[in-house]
Amino acid sequence: MLGSTTLGQRSFGSELRALLAMAHKEWTIFVRYPSWVIAFVIWPVLFPFGYIFTAKALSGPGGMAAATFGSRAGTTDYASFIVIGTTLYMWLNITLWDVGLQLREEQMRGTLESNWLCPIWRISLMLGGSLTKLATALMFLAITVVEFWLFFDIQLLRGNAALLLLLLLLLIASIYGIGIAFGSLVLRFKEANAMVFLVRGIFLVFCGTTYPIEVMPHWMQQIATLLPLTYANRALRMVILSQASFADVWPDVRALLIFAVMLPLLGYVAFRIVEQRARRTGTLGQY
Amino acid sequence: MLNLSLARPTWQSHLRAVLAIARKNWLHFLRYPLNAVFQIVQPVMWLTPVYFLGRTFATAQGNVGFAAYTGISDYMAFIIVGSIISSYISAVFWGMGLALKTEMDSGVLESNWMTPVPRPLLLVGQTLANLGITTLNCVLVCVLAWLLFGFSISGNLLAAALTLIPMLVALYGFGFAFAALVLLIRESNTLIDVSDFVISTFSGSRFPVMVLPRFLLPISLAIPLTYGLDAVRGLLLNGTTLLPIGTEIIILCAFMLVMVPTGYGVFKLVERRCRIHGTLGMH
Repeated sequence: MLGSTTLGQRSFGSELRALLAMAHKEWTIFVRYPSWVIAFVIWPVLFPFGYIFTAKALSGPGGMAAATFGSRAGTTDYASFIVIGTTLYMWLNITLWDVGLQLREEQMRGTLESNWLCPIWRISLMLGGSLTKLATALMFLAITVVEFWLFFDIQLLRGNAALLLLLLLLLIASIYGIGIAFGSLVLRFKEANAMVFLVRGIFLVFCGTTYPIEVMPHWMQQIATLLPLTYANRALRMVILSQASFADVWPDVRALLIFAVMLPLLGYVAFRIVEQRARRTGTLGQY
Repeated sequence: MLNLSLARPTWQSHLRAVLAIARKNWLHFLRYPLNAVFQIVQPVMWLTPVYFLGRTFATAQGNVGFAAYTGISDYMAFIIVGSIISSYISAVFWGMGLALKTEMDSGVLESNWMTPVPRPLLLVGQTLANLGITTLNCVLVCVLAWLLFGFSISGNLLAAALTLIPMLVALYGFGFAFAALVLLIRESNTLIDVSDFVISTFSGSRFPVMVLPRFLLPISLAIPLTYGLDAVRGLLLNGTTLLPIGTEIIILCAFMLVMVPTGYGVFKLVERRCRIHGTLGMH
């Protein structure tokens, strides 16, 4: 009897334990399928590989067209330019699949409803798993940096270290805000694959992943201004490739600050709406 | 008597089985309309960054650097031809390996395996709907890409299509061996994703392989699909080819003659091993 009362009594400690239990469960699932090692080692190099050699072909023998690229992108180092963009894109892609689909996977396995009934703050179900996904994504980023340094002599840890760290923190808030909002939408609309393809496609096309956004038509540049990765790509390229100072990238940092506040809020609101709708319609267990 | 005729397989019953599998896959495809739409939209989304990358390097005279490497001034035509061929490569990969894994996961592989249909034919059936869907996709993607990016193809379309045949048949051999690997390790997603991407990238679907560094170029030259892509581009876009087109077609035919029996042999060997150890139903 006493035990039951304690179980039902929510406290900060119990919320934290629930959060960590979710994180631990996701970590156990992650290490259970060792093929992630292949993905983590191969994809960071493999994904930008095609773009880098397409760019090399476009630059022509002896780099005859590299100056044209330089006049538009602000650097003739097209390989580093592309690697920064593709790394951010891959991070977002991983987050959409991992954070965005974690509750959907519980729904598919039939465990979402029972977890939903636990006396915890429901967003902990998503935040706990997101902690693990953040840890694995940071591992992925670290592997990317090391691999490009070792195999291609591309150093991504150049420029102002404090500024890089600030941009990384702002990006974490923005990307995981998108992930949580996306996860809520997937829970509602259920066609997960198509939704990942749509959202990641928008970011791939509009954020200047492999090219400066100035080469796009004006209407596409307008859409690009609404996406956080556009600012992150530009700021990181300026800091890493041109050793830009805080003042140089302040407009991009300011935009990212707004995204870092707004996107997690948007994620929370989206989750609450889905939660209330699920309670009203009783459709949480459907898939 | 009726039961007896059910158990007596004929070429008509095999054909019916293959068509039934293709029909089932087609129904799956139609059942998720949003996914079907995205199969067309997604290739265009992949082509867009490549298009703008080309524009970043373009001078007033076009992509002169690219033309100096390939002899082809129409950069987007080069990319789109590569994209179409690599989608056929993917169709065979996904069709066999992934279908096996899906059937393992849904627990129907063992029961399907018990039907009186040759098992390699079960695999071929899995690719038929995929090839149909890929062809439909390619036509729609070409129309969309032509409207959005503009490209022109002036070469011999029939000769290019005929060149693709030995390459596709050889891919089936490769697909058999790959399906055997899925049966063995019972995991497919990472394997398919990575191998599909590696093969399509190294065979030059997105760039002329001559731009690769010396230590990577032998990998490309060892993949027969490289010559398939090169020959088709040579026929359609009249660009510079790695070898004379006739030689490249001979390489493709030799690839087909080696790959089909090898893939079939590997598949039979692994399938027998799975039957002996009873691992077919595991996943």
